[in-house]
Amino acid sequence: MTGLTGSAGCFDAILPYIVTILLISSIYAIFALGLNLEWGFTGLLNFGHVAFFAIGAYTTVLLDLWGCPLVLSIIAGVALAGFFGFLLGIPTLRLRADYLAIVTIGFSEVLRFILLNEEWLTRGPFGVYGFERPFQDVIPYQYYNTFLLILYVAILVAIYASLERLMHSPWGRVLKSIREDESVPSALGKNVFWYKIQSLMLGSAIAGLAGALLAFYLQYVSPATFKPIETFHAWIIIILGGTASNRGTIVGALILWTFFSGTKFISRLVPLESHQMGAFRMIVIGLLLMLLMMYKPEGIFGKKEELALSD
Amino acid sequence: MQLIINGLVIGSIIALTAIGLSMIYKTLNFVNFAHGDFVAFAAYIALLTNVALGMNLAVAFAVAILATVALGVVVEKLVWMPMRRKNATQTTLIIISIGLALVLRNILIFVWGGDTQSYNIPVRRGFDFFGAVITPNQILVIVTAFFLMFLLHHLLSRTKIGKAMRALSDNVDLARISGIDTDRVILRTWVIGLGLAAAGGVLYGLVTAIRPSMGWFLLLPMFAAVILGGIGNPYGTIAGGMVIGLSQELSTAVLPTEYKFAVSFIVMTIVLLIKPEGIFGWVR
Amino acid sequence: MILEVEGVVSGYTDLDILNSVSMCIRTGEIVSIIGPNGSGKSTLMKTVFGLLRPRSGKIIFKGEDITGIAPDTIVKKGMGYVPQDKEFFPSLTVLENLEMGAFIRNDDISGSLEWVYRIFPVLEEKSQIRAGSLSGGEQRMVGIGRALMLSPDLLLLDEPSAGLAPLMRDMMFEKLIEINDAGTSIAIVEQNAVRSLAISDRGYVLETGRNRFEGRGADILGNEDVLRLYLGG
Repeated sequence: MTGLTGSAGCFDAILPYIVTILLISSIYAIFALGLNLEWGFTGLLNFGHVAFFAIGAYTTVLLDLWGCPLVLSIIAGVALAGFFGFLLGIPTLRLRADYLAIVTIGFSEVLRFILLNEEWLTRGPFGVYGFERPFQDVIPYQYYNTFLLILYVAILVAIYASLERLMHSPWGRVLKSIREDESVPSALGKNVFWYKIQSLMLGSAIAGLAGALLAFYLQYVSPATFKPIETFHAWIIIILGGTASNRGTIVGALILWTFFSGTKFISRLVPLESHQMGAFRMIVIGLLLMLLMMYKPEGIFGKKEELALSD
Repeated sequence: MQLIINGLVIGSIIALTAIGLSMIYKTLNFVNFAHGDFVAFAAYIALLTNVALGMNLAVAFAVAILATVALGVVVEKLVWMPMRRKNATQTTLIIISIGLALVLRNILIFVWGGDTQSYNIPVRRGFDFFGAVITPNQILVIVTAFFLMFLLHHLLSRTKIGKAMRALSDNVDLARISGIDTDRVILRTWVIGLGLAAAGGVLYGLVTAIRPSMGWFLLLPMFAAVILGGIGNPYGTIAGGMVIGLSQELSTAVLPTEYKFAVSFIVMTIVLLIKPEGIFGWVR
Repeated sequence: MILEVEGVVSGYTDLDILNSVSMCIRTGEIVSIIGPNGSGKSTLMKTVFGLLRPRSGKIIFKGEDITGIAPDTIVKKGMGYVPQDKEFFPSLTVLENLEMGAFIRNDDISGSLEWVYRIFPVLEEKSQIRAGSLSGGEQRMVGIGRALMLSPDLLLLDEPSAGLAPLMRDMMFEKLIEINDAGTSIAIVEQNAVRSLAISDRGYVLETGRNRFEGRGADILGNEDVLRLYLGG
């Protein structure tokens, strides 16, 4: 880097990069906020969150390609994700907490198989592209990502604000009491099962919306976009940020994606093959998940009082 | 007939690997999402011993079991035992296990890459068996699996430590009140459970391609077998594993083979809906 | 004196149940601990057996301070405990349940087995049957039999008659006398205070985690305050 032109050039090169990080972070922040509602506030172990991400994305882009107006496609995607949350909740939410984990993770894998194999519907392994993006005719291409960023941050803020209000409403307080000890709201005559279903539906719907947003950003969705690891990206985001903290979740998303882009830089410096670099990142994620749960379950930014430490 | 043979082969592998999952599930009250990755780990250790070190498969089998059990003991001492001391909740343990699963699987990818591999053993022709083909490897899998299950039955019903394992999976608190050293019995439960899982993993490598995700894809059938058999009931789990293996293979007669995997999911969900405590409770 | 409890304060993480309780059991005695719900009877028993750690106070067993010692160590010192529920291993046979009671012994257990079978003959008859499929009374016998396999010097029983049919309940109290005659001191926590005090040498009445009254069984039964307050008389 020499002189002014050099640093300006550098800045020009870095700016889109920063926009990209912020874009992905905001998509994943929304995605993880849905999970935080389920796990952080209600104590539901959803290990198949990515399925709802995928349902939202695929429904939106497929309906759009079939000629449905974009807004309606998005709404349908969100609704369908919520509906599947409802379906999965029925067999599991009356039972032990871990059954939901098993069934959701199974569902997310089965769904991925369907996406891969039902080519008549999903176009199979090559994925879906060529769909419409919001306001794509109005916004010049070179500013499109900046536009998306502004749009997504606005959506993120709106969802954050609604969730915060919701959590301080009587409904939110019932959810928290379910997380602490189910028998208490149950003794007060609340239908715990129904509250859990609602939490799972809403969380899944939010994931569905995030899925649509991801599709618009990528301009392309395929079964490989929705591997099980995406679920655990959301988990690490909320655990990093502090369970049951919506603000922490947003910070967690930023940290995670900054870390990921950082490792991309590093990968140019260390002699690792690409599969090794990918594996290395996952090892870090896995270790982080273990160590945080073992030594700092309240998260880096979380408040200890917000966490139920006992069964 | 061919489908039944294939079903019995995969069923005995699911049964063998799921027993440990089931016993630990009940005894420690958490579902170990890393269990499948221990299965894959064992297959890779066998691969290493067999291919890279040139040992025969029997040696590789033993080495794989020892290495997997040793890894399990290390994890028990470093992770599970300290977390029990802290009275960690069930959900905390589950999340830790999923972290462990990610670490294990990606270590396999890191070291061996994501491609499929297989043991260095001679390919032998199958025999004709009532109009179907059964390969020597398939026979080896079934015979070894049933032999190990028989050994397990002997351990659980005839030996003091085996009875204590069953006692712990019934009621840990009462075991402690009776003066049983629960940490020691839990450690033995890990050893037996992961030993069987490792054996299952090596056998699985005989009939399928070895790849890092092989254990992950076995996880759902194992869960289904455990839930079908009633959590903590080893005999029920064996029955459940057989049922899942057979229904997976038989489903291919009507469904595309890609959906084998979905069968265990559907069976499991139905069981949860109608009889969540398992349908093989009576098998003891 | 086999057991002395001095000023024990105990309870759960954020809640003291026992505010200060003292009691003792002399060698060879049967002692009843009674009181209304929430008086801390079961908490006292769990604390003595090391399942709960006392916040203060002292527990002395056979002259040795055992305050804060873990249950698996206390068992080895000769104290047995039968919890109020889940007192047996349901998927194990009756015989296996008894064997688990003797897990820490490495010698021949046939003598103890014979003794338990003599007290509860039905257990010998059903020794190969899974405990989970027995009747409630038989399951209680399995629980007590399991604790007897180590021939404890002191046996703690949490509500041994709860949930039993009247006939079975009478039999259970007779069996306790039989066990006591064989040299085992017994402490019983009971809702069913009248029957329990009738077989006891002495009794303690607890109220909100404190000693309220103590004396010979007959004296407690004759005490109007106690009758009115705790026995619903």
